[in-house]
Amino acid sequence: MTIEEQICQNAIRHPASIALITPEEQVTYAQLWERCLLAATNVRRKYGLQKGDRIILAASANIDFIYAYFGIHMAGGVCAPIDPDTNETRFELIKNSTKPVCTMGVLHKVAGTQTAPFSEVLTPCDKIDPYQTPDPEQIADILFTTGTTGAPKGVALNHKNLTAAALNINTFIKNTAEDVELLALPVSHSFGLGRVRCVLSKGGSLVLLGSFANMKKFFEQMERFHCTGFGMVPASWAYIKKMSGRKIGEFAGQLRYIEIGSSFMPIPDKELLCELLPDTRICMHYGLTEASRSAFMEFHSEHDYLNTAGKASPNVEVKIFDTEGNVLPTGAEGEVCVKGEHVTCSYWNETPERFAKDFYDGYFRTGDCGYLDAEGYIHLKSRIKEMINVGGKKVSPMEVEDILNTIPGIEDCACVAMPDPEGVMGELVKAFIVSKDGSLTDAAIIEALRPKLEAYKLPARIERIDAIPKTASGKVQRLKLK
Amino acid sequence: MDTLEKVIEIVAITCDVDKSEVTESSTVGDFPAWDSVGHLGILSKVEEAFDISFEPEEMMEIEDVKDIVDAVNNKLA
Repeated sequence: MTIEEQICQNAIRHPASIALITPEEQVTYAQLWERCLLAATNVRRKYGLQKGDRIILAASANIDFIYAYFGIHMAGGVCAPIDPDTNETRFELIKNSTKPVCTMGVLHKVAGTQTAPFSEVLTPCDKIDPYQTPDPEQIADILFTTGTTGAPKGVALNHKNLTAAALNINTFIKNTAEDVELLALPVSHSFGLGRVRCVLSKGGSLVLLGSFANMKKFFEQMERFHCTGFGMVPASWAYIKKMSGRKIGEFAGQLRYIEIGSSFMPIPDKELLCELLPDTRICMHYGLTEASRSAFMEFHSEHDYLNTAGKASPNVEVKIFDTEGNVLPTGAEGEVCVKGEHVTCSYWNETPERFAKDFYDGYFRTGDCGYLDAEGYIHLKSRIKEMINVGGKKVSPMEVEDILNTIPGIEDCACVAMPDPEGVMGELVKAFIVSKDGSLTDAAIIEALRPKLEAYKLPARIERIDAIPKTASGKVQRLKLK
Repeated sequence: MDTLEKVIEIVAITCDVDKSEVTESSTVGDFPAWDSVGHLGILSKVEEAFDISFEPEEMMEIEDVKDIVDAVNNKLA
């Protein structure tokens, strides 16, 4: 059963239950379903959407976005959610790749592109199209990640993938229809959008907050709607802690669960959460857009394994393979690979032959290096891919390097991850540059980068060196710079 | 330069907007860059500029430019 069919079932069984909450209104499941049907009708009529057509969604936690997202699926379309802060170059690449029938939402950094407001999907219609069950094998979403070259890479997820992921997550977290979740995560990413599907497929309520930035509002909404759970990345917890100290502990009695996204989280941070929320299921996942939440670990019941990435999620298998594609025994280090219905069905615009290379014997290659212990816990050692994880957002060093290399006076450069000295973002971008131009200041470099890169991709530190270490074949040896 | 003027300048630089766009009632979320990272950036630059340090409970109460100015003035009083 697709996520949309589960929402339909919730609307039939519990029409008056609250699905969505904003400061302005509360939307029941019956209303949610009606509005999604209206959205499906409107995207067909207004934009001529046909089965398999794409719509780019500059996704924000706006209530109309939710109707548009499910409505596009119900009309047989494919959603390509992107960050509203996406830069012009990246947007053009995504647009050329997906050839959308339209772009919806607001793009802050792209000039001259016409976008449709999400509210258009609620334009009244004389006749609403009847619901048609989507094919489970049909692509539902294309999520663009940052590929190793920095160019956007479209991860295609079909309806079956989305349904499987929501089931696995809800099974582990033990979500119920009584849950009221505060959504502060960005919905342009796999994690936030996944939370929307998890809560609404289960029949729970979603409070749309939009961001963690305003902590006063976060706690006000938590109290006002008696929220029972929320999702966050480790950088959010560092922020919550810095901005509000131990205040989250005042909600220990009502918080049933927290889901935490996969990036490095210091053990003392995990311990502090355990202390402040002794009865809350604190579930940290390990996963990637291609294989959302492949493993889970609960801080209290698996307290001895806080230093691991957890065990395979329900209905998921995890194995370690060597570079030849052979399964490795317990304790042996290799590439972490996962299998399950949640794993991406394809990369957008990539051949099946190329896609097949991302698998070993049906197991998706995550690009992470680690081992399994005797209990089945995953111990991550390093990333095979060299992404920099800035507060949960992935930055390709090559994307930053390509732009640095266009700045007059820079002869060569390389970017690596550096730990955030404030301990908030996890990692930050550090740039090494080779330049003989003594007048080229760090500030001038940043100013040159700023119009072309999102703020989180800007180097936090720039260091000048004589030469970038490279292999004989000219490949940058980033590990030597760390 | 008075406190308000300095705070507006910090917000404008951090959020990459013109100073004329920032008012006393400008708040978190008003500019795309005033997200949680931007908010932290603004507060740490304010701490540096006025040589003060906010406690978590003080930071939690800060939602807009006026709150920042009041918090700074309270610290300096």
